[in-house]
Amino acid sequence: MLASIIASGLAVGAVYALIGITYNTMFATSRVMSFTAGQLGMLGGVFGSLFALRLGLPILPALVLTLACCALIGVVTEIVAVRPVLKSLDQHLYVLTTLAVALLIQHTTAMEWSTEPQPFPRVLDLGSGIWDEKYWLPVVVCILTILSLEYLYRYTLVGRAFVAIAEDNFAARALGLPERNLRIASYALAGAIGALAGFAGGQLLLAFFANGPLLNFYGFIPVALGGLGNNRGAVIGGFLLGLYQQAANFLVGGIFSSVAVFTLFIIVLLAAPQGMFGAQAVRRV
Amino acid sequence: MKITRRTLALGGSSLAAGAALSVPLATPALAQNEPIRIGWLAALTGPSSAPGVGFNRGVLFAAEAINAAGGVKGRRIEIITRDTQGDPTKAVNATQEMISQLRVHAIWGPTNSGESLAVTAIMARAKMPNIHPCVVDSLIDERRYPNAFRITPSNTQWDDAVRSYCLTRVKAKKVAVIGDTTGYGVSAVNASVAAFQRDKAEVVYKANIDATQPDVTPDMLRARNAGAEAIVFWSVSTGLIARLLNTRANMNWDVPFVGHPAMSSGEVGSLVERPSNWEKVYAIGYRSCSYDASGNLPPRTAELVQRLSGKVNLQDTLLWWVASAVDAVQLIAKAVEATNSTAKEAIIEYWNGLKNYPGYYGTYTYSPTQHNGYPTEEVVMSAANSAKNGAFALAPGY
Amino acid sequence: MDAMTETAPPRTEAAARLAGPLTPLWPFLLLLAIGLAMPLTGNEYWGLIVTRMAIYWVLVAGLNLIVGYAGQLAIGYVALLTIGAYTTSVLAAGNVLPPLPAFAALGVAGLAGAVFGVVVGLPALRLRTFYFAMTTLGFATIVTQITLAWQDVTGGGIGIAGPMLPEPLDTTWGFLYFCLGFAALCTWLTANIARSRFGRALVAVRDAEVAAEASGIHKPKLLVLVFILAGALAAMAGGLFATLQTYITPDAFTFDLSLLFFIAVLIGGRGSILGPLLGTVILTLLPEIAAPLAAWSTFLYAALLLVIVLAMPGGIAALIDPRNRRKLPEHRVITPQPTALDALLGRREVPASLTLRGIVLSFGGVRAIDGVDLEVTPGQVHGLIGPNGSGKTTTLNVISGYYRPEAGSMAIGPAPLPAGEPQGRAGLRIARTFQTPRLIGEASVLENVMIGGTTDGRAGFAEALLALPRQRQEEREFEARARLALEAVGLAGLAEVRADRLQHSELRFMEIARTLMLRPAFLLLDEPAAGLSTEEIRRLGALIRSISRHGTGVLLVEHHADLIFDICDQVTVLNLGKVLAAGTPAEIRVHKEVVSAYLGA
Repeated sequence: MLASIIASGLAVGAVYALIGITYNTMFATSRVMSFTAGQLGMLGGVFGSLFALRLGLPILPALVLTLACCALIGVVTEIVAVRPVLKSLDQHLYVLTTLAVALLIQHTTAMEWSTEPQPFPRVLDLGSGIWDEKYWLPVVVCILTILSLEYLYRYTLVGRAFVAIAEDNFAARALGLPERNLRIASYALAGAIGALAGFAGGQLLLAFFANGPLLNFYGFIPVALGGLGNNRGAVIGGFLLGLYQQAANFLVGGIFSSVAVFTLFIIVLLAAPQGMFGAQAVRRV
Repeated sequence: MKITRRTLALGGSSLAAGAALSVPLATPALAQNEPIRIGWLAALTGPSSAPGVGFNRGVLFAAEAINAAGGVKGRRIEIITRDTQGDPTKAVNATQEMISQLRVHAIWGPTNSGESLAVTAIMARAKMPNIHPCVVDSLIDERRYPNAFRITPSNTQWDDAVRSYCLTRVKAKKVAVIGDTTGYGVSAVNASVAAFQRDKAEVVYKANIDATQPDVTPDMLRARNAGAEAIVFWSVSTGLIARLLNTRANMNWDVPFVGHPAMSSGEVGSLVERPSNWEKVYAIGYRSCSYDASGNLPPRTAELVQRLSGKVNLQDTLLWWVASAVDAVQLIAKAVEATNSTAKEAIIEYWNGLKNYPGYYGTYTYSPTQHNGYPTEEVVMSAANSAKNGAFALAPGY
Repeated sequence: MDAMTETAPPRTEAAARLAGPLTPLWPFLLLLAIGLAMPLTGNEYWGLIVTRMAIYWVLVAGLNLIVGYAGQLAIGYVALLTIGAYTTSVLAAGNVLPPLPAFAALGVAGLAGAVFGVVVGLPALRLRTFYFAMTTLGFATIVTQITLAWQDVTGGGIGIAGPMLPEPLDTTWGFLYFCLGFAALCTWLTANIARSRFGRALVAVRDAEVAAEASGIHKPKLLVLVFILAGALAAMAGGLFATLQTYITPDAFTFDLSLLFFIAVLIGGRGSILGPLLGTVILTLLPEIAAPLAAWSTFLYAALLLVIVLAMPGGIAALIDPRNRRKLPEHRVITPQPTALDALLGRREVPASLTLRGIVLSFGGVRAIDGVDLEVTPGQVHGLIGPNGSGKTTTLNVISGYYRPEAGSMAIGPAPLPAGEPQGRAGLRIARTFQTPRLIGEASVLENVMIGGTTDGRAGFAEALLALPRQRQEEREFEARARLALEAVGLAGLAEVRADRLQHSELRFMEIARTLMLRPAFLLLDEPAAGLSTEEIRRLGALIRSISRHGTGVLLVEHHADLIFDICDQVTVLNLGKVLAAGTPAEIRVHKEVVSAYLGA
């Protein structure tokens, strides 16, 4: 029993963590929190099922196509919902545009794909019981992703450019960094990460359009817990959330577990609005 | 106030709109040639739309068949569909539209309990003849809603069939009752548990599982540890069903699942990891839509399947959805035919007098004091994985 | 008061404005008339749709104050609708207490909504935009789950019947009239708040939070009041919703409904009453126009939202706002009017000086201010100059209360000035302008200026809500005072213009007009001459000196040396956070260290 809770908690927590990283990646170069993060995760599962099952492609090309499609959607998000509102001083506009795009994605998927959950294929077919692939695959993918991102941000030029844009936009531009292209690239990257989340978690969550808002909310909690822009915090927050949620499911049942999760979320946010590891607000005046 | 061009334009257009709205619509034409308008409140899209899609096929087929044969005394059937998406707000709007704007003669649907609860009072106020396939018990009240008739069994009849199968055929003395976290799931589980306890059976585990919960192993383990000999299941969520069945297989447990007809839907078949996971699952079925040991359907249903073949796809839906919708349309048509009138009172009076009306889906009997017309003895349990053209084999023991 | 006669156009506008909170009034009356005419059609379907619009508008009117005016993105507001619907139904059905009559149940629901409105809104005080939006979504889910789980009271999944209103309101048309009447009342109530100093304060908090604080606006208190009102309205809308639906189940309170409310406010346009009203009408009507649209309704709402935000961020309100259309004269000159200044400030005695002793403040390891002493004498202009990074603006920020010094003290006369309390400064008659003008772009210049006087308002929220005489009297006084202030700084002709259409120099003078609303004892100016032409600087200097001669103590942070030496009575020079020199302009001009560090040869 405990082993099962831990296995599923870590697995679903890894998916939430990856969505948190998606949020962070989009935030990094644009300072925009986008409602599309959860939808990208949902699309990872839907596209995976579409390519691998409905169209019958082998698993690896299906994965590549899924990543490509979601990266494309990430770029479209940047062009349609983010770039036009970055110029405006009004901070709230991006909430609206990304919300609108997220809804468009969700609704189109519901109407065109299906309103019932669809099956997701086996990826590698390794393991069974609590060592089944659907438990360890998301965790492994999450760890690999965070390691790759750390390498990217620290040791590659592109990664360091991302960090520069995030830290000090004006200075970076003054240095001649192509801000717009970097932003597009980071949104594409975010799309790919979201797709990975959905693909790795597909056997757990199935290809279901309603996963979108679900992942939006539960993928946001690791960001809130770990601090905005902090990927490591998101990973830790994600795993903690996953374990807490599965434990709550077990202890108080399905109806109250979302109450439990949400109550915890509110309390943590009110106590530490910048998260466990986040940075303080900047000078206002 | 300054009169500007804009003021004039705005004022003028709104006046025009008001005038247009106040012209009474659809002036009652010569009644004899008027088509018979049947309103169809369908949850065709949105969550849990599979039944709606199935019913819709039956509705369209029946209307087309009747019209092709010359209609009802020369009058054609016109189906007016409104997709309510399972949203009670849309259902209320659509119902009132059907009553006041579209002036339908009878309404089939809604297909979703939440919607039905909201529109029942509105239809009753308008005395609109209504047949629907929703199972919630409180929807039928011959005194308060003399216009509402149910074509399917009530939830109590479903629950009775499931319970009786568990106790007498499976011979389980300890049961687990599981549902989802929707309105239907919660109330169905509670009603079921209460009924089992009244019958002196032991409910060892009761749970409402969120349909999106990715892993149900703890719940299944608890059910097993509590000694459940059967799992009674009430939910339309195919994802949840699949997860439970897969987990059962991974646990090497062979407890039977007994319950909601959704367990036999094709979606479940595609979601289970192995076909064998779908064994020992007994879903509510209907004698009319079940084939016997030699694979034959009852003669009336066989005739319907014959007529449907080539026109209606039965592979990815359930036969009883199609059949019940065909019956509903025909009940309305027959009422108009027999009474020579589309007046609301006439249709209701005709239905109130039906005794053993031979439909495809069931044999209906209604009276002014009984609007639950489906005979309990025709509710059976089916083997969920035995679908053939949307019909099922009877569960063992029948 | 003769200054008024020079400004004819603003006069007639003023008369029109005082006509009421809903100007222009005719669109509202027209919509009401169309609604009331519905029984003529005999079509109960349209009656239902119009009733639904009215009920939704009751909620959206309140939500408008939160989303449109205060700028808090409460996306999950259906939670309040759910609470109101269930409270009314449960009380009317008698599941917990003996059955209450429907109106009493509605009233209790309103109270419950007020309480929960605060609960749902409270995170807004601590969290940034996106986070708050997420918490409201969470609340919406939680409330639905609780209604599902609490079977004994709410009926759980089976739901509960909605309340029945007494005759004659239980018929379609009777209920329609009731809802239209109630919606009209709510329109009037929320418009009263919107057009009062509370409404202006909300918009200030939304768009220029720093300036709002400096004007004495207390954000938490203000938001809580609005949450109470909006929550009560939403809950009562919920009770009416339950009556309309005749039966409620948890699945009736969908996220789609929440989106409808939210998007109605936004496509209507912020800071408007008519816009969101039209938005509500349109969004309720849209799915009914064509049957296929019903299935795609959420898609349409989202597409509409995207289009509006990208193409017309001001929403419908911006389209119909006549103020945007009028062309502004090309070459505008700012001409301060001394007579207006006399009329506004009069002769006053400000008894005590503002003194700073030994102020120390560090950021991280850097000492921004290192032991600064300063005295601002009433009736004098005190200049504060120094190189970039010397701590001038930081000193202003400490005086204004945005930063808390680590050491040192501030006082006005004998009374100590509390550190770190920016909202209190307006009450102490300390006003300031900012390095970058803080303005509310979407509001008119007049409204921007009126914000400065917020703390002088005595009429409470309830008085504003009901447009009681004292509130209306105060509004008239505020408006008169603001016009006078605008005249004093030379912007009288631009009073009704949207602030974001002004030139940069005009914005600087507008900020000063805002400070004059307070009749300040001390005025802190942060580089007001930046970006002004020579002539404008000259007029600015004359204005500042004139203000000080009316008794105000002015602290002027500036880079323009000529302006400083022209009008200042005292000058303090800062360098690297320390006072380098202090004295009269003549002394400072020849001070050796000042010349070498800052002024040059």
